[in-house]
Amino acid sequence: MNKKNVILGVLLVGVVAVIGVWYFIFYRPTHFKRDVTDEKAIVVTAKDIVKEFQSNEAEANKKYLNKAVEITGEVVECKKDQEGHPTVTLKSDDAFSNVQVTLKGDKQLEAKGGSTITIKGIVNGNLSDVIIIEAVVTKQ
Amino acid sequence: MNKTTVVLFFLGILNLGSLMAQKIYATKTAQIKFESSTSTEDLEATNNQVESKLIDNGQVEFKLLMKGFVFDNEMMQDHFNGKEYMESDKFPKAEFKGTIANITSVNFAKDGAYPIMVSGNLTIKGITVKESAAGLIIIEKGKVNTKSSFKIKLKDFGIVGKDIGTVISNNITISVSAKYD
Repeated sequence: MNKKNVILGVLLVGVVAVIGVWYFIFYRPTHFKRDVTDEKAIVVTAKDIVKEFQSNEAEANKKYLNKAVEITGEVVECKKDQEGHPTVTLKSDDAFSNVQVTLKGDKQLEAKGGSTITIKGIVNGNLSDVIIIEAVVTKQ
Repeated sequence: MNKTTVVLFFLGILNLGSLMAQKIYATKTAQIKFESSTSTEDLEATNNQVESKLIDNGQVEFKLLMKGFVFDNEMMQDHFNGKEYMESDKFPKAEFKGTIANITSVNFAKDGAYPIMVSGNLTIKGITVKESAAGLIIIEKGKVNTKSSFKIKLKDFGIVGKDIGTVISNNITISVSAKYD
């Protein structure tokens, strides 16, 4: 192996390393967001997931936090958040606590209050509502 | 029934009236942003699932999930929620409960932008610190919006990751915007 090949080899490794660092630290994390559409999800109703969080939040967090869930429930209302993302609220048995879902995209969901829909999204935690983000509608 | 009792009785009714008239404005999609700016890096994250309530007697509160803060770069988001910084698995929520000192200067029935002073308790990572901020209540066609921006010291809340002071600023700017239903 002559000197020239060694230099070429080192250069090549250097270039690959730089591209690798750029791809994994700067490109991939900003361009590929988690998509739950094809993930296997925990199937639950809006009523049940609210009940689980109300009766034992720590346990419910263990079971659901950051997981994909498929939730069926009755629509309370469809709106948009302040950044224009569509939202839908699903009813539970407690009027003070619902499932608050933020959907992907920017088009407001058209679903009548009282109708039943199924969404798939990621559980982000529990405030007075159970919060679901990055969701898609799977059945309407 | 003598005169005094009658007067007290009517005062009682008036008082009850004002209690009953108390109005609560609420939203589940208020927005809270934070920004850090240093010579090496500008950071920004937004949370669009903030719960907020405002009562026309001046009480105000905000509640949010730390994991609701979205960064452009998912890797930064993971660091933010991780052990070194927010420990969001251990401290999933942050909360502010306060009062608007000059609420009587706000006319909820009249359009306008009313300057307000808010002070109260901010809890992040399980540590509660008294904070105060200037802001605005904006009344527009009967809808109530609030806006405020203030700085907090990360150290006050026990946030001491290794990049703080270099890549991440010691003081973070928090911007709040709530459009009530």
